Amino acid sequence: MKNCIQVNQVSKYFGGLTAVNKVDLEVSEGSITSIIGPNGAGKTTLFNCISGYYKPEVGQILFFSEPIHGLPTYEVAKMGISRTYQNIRLFSQMTAIENIMLGQHTRLTNIWIDSILGTPRHNREYKRSIEEAKRLLKFVGLQGLGDTQAKNLPYGAQRRLEIARALGNKPKLLLLDEPTAGMNPQETTKMTSFIRSLRDDLGITIILIEHDMRVVMDISDQIAVLDYGEKIAEGLPKDIQSNQRVIEAYLGPDVSLLTKKYQERKRLRHAVTN
Amino acid sequence: MKNPTLKNGLTAGVIFGILTTVMFLIGFNEVAAKLISKVFSDQNFTKFPQYYYFGIFMVLLGIWNGNIAAKAEFKRKNDLLSSLIASIIGGLIAGLFGLILSLIFGSLVEQQIDVRKYLVSVSPESIKLFLFEKSALTGGLIELGLSIISALAGGLLFYLFNAVNGVNKAKQSLFKNYQSLISSPKTKELLSDPIFKIAMYLLIAVALIVIPRNWGSYWNYVFGTVGIYVLLGIGLNMITGWAGQLVIGYSFFFAIGAYTFAIFTSPEPHNLMWNFWIALGLGVLAAGLSGLLLGLPILNLRGDYLAIVTLGLGEIIRILLKSDLLTDFTGGPRGLQKIAGPTLFGKPFNSDVDFMYLIIVAVLVVSFLAHRLQNSRTGKAWYAINLDETVAKATGVNSFWSKLLALTLSAAIAGLAGAIFASRNQYTGPDDHTLMVSINVICLIIVGGIGNIPGIFLGAFVLKGVPEILREIDNYRMLVFGVLLIVMMRIRPEGFLPLQRPKLEKFVKPVNPEGGAQ
Repeated sequence: MKNCIQVNQVSKYFGGLTAVNKVDLEVSEGSITSIIGPNGAGKTTLFNCISGYYKPEVGQILFFSEPIHGLPTYEVAKMGISRTYQNIRLFSQMTAIENIMLGQHTRLTNIWIDSILGTPRHNREYKRSIEEAKRLLKFVGLQGLGDTQAKNLPYGAQRRLEIARALGNKPKLLLLDEPTAGMNPQETTKMTSFIRSLRDDLGITIILIEHDMRVVMDISDQIAVLDYGEKIAEGLPKDIQSNQRVIEAYLGPDVSLLTKKYQERKRLRHAVTN
Repeated sequence: MKNPTLKNGLTAGVIFGILTTVMFLIGFNEVAAKLISKVFSDQNFTKFPQYYYFGIFMVLLGIWNGNIAAKAEFKRKNDLLSSLIASIIGGLIAGLFGLILSLIFGSLVEQQIDVRKYLVSVSPESIKLFLFEKSALTGGLIELGLSIISALAGGLLFYLFNAVNGVNKAKQSLFKNYQSLISSPKTKELLSDPIFKIAMYLLIAVALIVIPRNWGSYWNYVFGTVGIYVLLGIGLNMITGWAGQLVIGYSFFFAIGAYTFAIFTSPEPHNLMWNFWIALGLGVLAAGLSGLLLGLPILNLRGDYLAIVTLGLGEIIRILLKSDLLTDFTGGPRGLQKIAGPTLFGKPFNSDVDFMYLIIVAVLVVSFLAHRLQNSRTGKAWYAINLDETVAKATGVNSFWSKLLALTLSAAIAGLAGAIFASRNQYTGPDDHTLMVSINVICLIIVGGIGNIPGIFLGAFVLKGVPEILREIDNYRMLVFGVLLIVMMRIRPEGFLPLQRPKLEKFVKPVNPEGGAQ
């Protein structure tokens, strides 16, 4: 399988703070990769580096062997990388369908003069983009809500609309930043199977940041763990689950001692109740 | 304040008392009398004395007062008597304000003291008008009496329209009928019928051709000014309303257009005297180019910074135009004169009607262009930048070039407006391109409904046409401006005609929004 994206020794500094420190990441085409880690571990910063919002100071990011680090965001989007945001960032005053049509911006070629003169290119693309947007609305289950302003949609629908907007770009790589944040268990289950269907039906490579471990363990082919900007572990879900460094990153360094103490107390209490 | 009836009456009374006081202190009562006399076409007060008209104004104010008091009371308690009591209290309180004002200023006038030293607008004539040309006490009592009676009338009127069953029902059924007429499928069918559409367009076209010929040069002047401000509004709306970049010194581009046009057609500095249309094109091009060149360094700025920089530009151009440095091109403070009018196929057309046609054509063409752009790929990209520039970039919008395009087009439109303006006045000088022009344009797009083209027409009419028609309130223009903006921001921040997003998905039945994701 080909490498979809390859992150080589990427570092990003904010003043004295090292937000991302020499991170390597390889994601093969058609896979689902999760990036996990405690708060402030640099997960979103890594996303911002990949999507071109930040320029990494050190290192390379290759997208299908082409360097994309340092390209402006709109160029990165044009190459086929779409993303969603941790706190939903739709164009709130626009309707749902317009949001998706904006997502298609890179895939359309008509310019302002076309729109003024009403050239065939403009008319053809306009019609096609509405059709395509309707299809995407149906795909994410928002059929019939296309003319609602994005800010008036319910929370779950906004999340899905954000993904639909990202899909408008016909991405090869989709970056999802906490797609199930703020969802109840039923919604989370639906979102999980939806993400899987993106990969299975559309063949899109997916990288997601997620805090819900059930989701992560459920759908990931590969997991990378960040802590203090460094990658501390990488591997299959079952390997990560038992990885000592990961447990330490989440629960603190003396976790083995803690567990011993806890088991001791449990044993004692058990003895007392008996 | 235990008694709610008293409280409702008192609130309305105090508000209207203060209103009366303020109007008196700014000398508005004379203006009001003049305005009302205009309605009765008796501008020189030959039929009736001036205070008669002032009385009508006070009665109208009193009716409004009583109406509001009764409304507040009626909401609390559906009762005729208490509503009327509230409106009488309102009238009494407002009237007391009038009485006190009359006593104070009446005695001052009787002692020959000129209060204009302290209150510029309160002239002895204005005070006499306020006293109905009577003595202080009599005048004050008339004020009080008028206020109470008219407030009572206002209360009764309110009751008649809202509580009397027959009238109320008639009102409601009228409203309902109107609603059903608007939303009935037959109306919709008629509105979307192509023949009906063509007929409407023809009707509008005939009106636009016939009206300027027949309503005289005064109205052509007024609506010509409105038309030029519509052009400016549409232009500024592109960069500020759609792309969301606040440009304050918009008169910069207006000036570039006007002066470029003037230099090529005026006999004064270089005696070029070129053809009108070529000069017009050059004016538009020069303004557009200036927008492009200026945008390159400044469009990376966001929000307030851009506003400050463009504010500076507007001031720089005004001072440059006045300076001696550029007298060879701009004529200095005198400006450029004897600017040529348009010609068509060698035939000059200089009458006000012809200019009106020129402005109408320009407005139609520009609003058509703007309309085409609004929901195009370009227009959507602009609006996306307005709403969230970071995300717009991440969805693939090259925000810098988009903004630059918006600024260039908007500057070109300002150039067109400037050239037409200069040609119509046959003159352009530094005073035509002050900061006030920019502020006016910003105000008109905000009041009309930012981002919406019909709103710009309405805003231009309200802010440029109405003050022109109501010449009497000219002194209060700035006051009305300020009050209008504050009131607009409070009660209708999105403007008179807010921007509507287009309906692109014409489905009938929405599914459950939280439903299946597959």
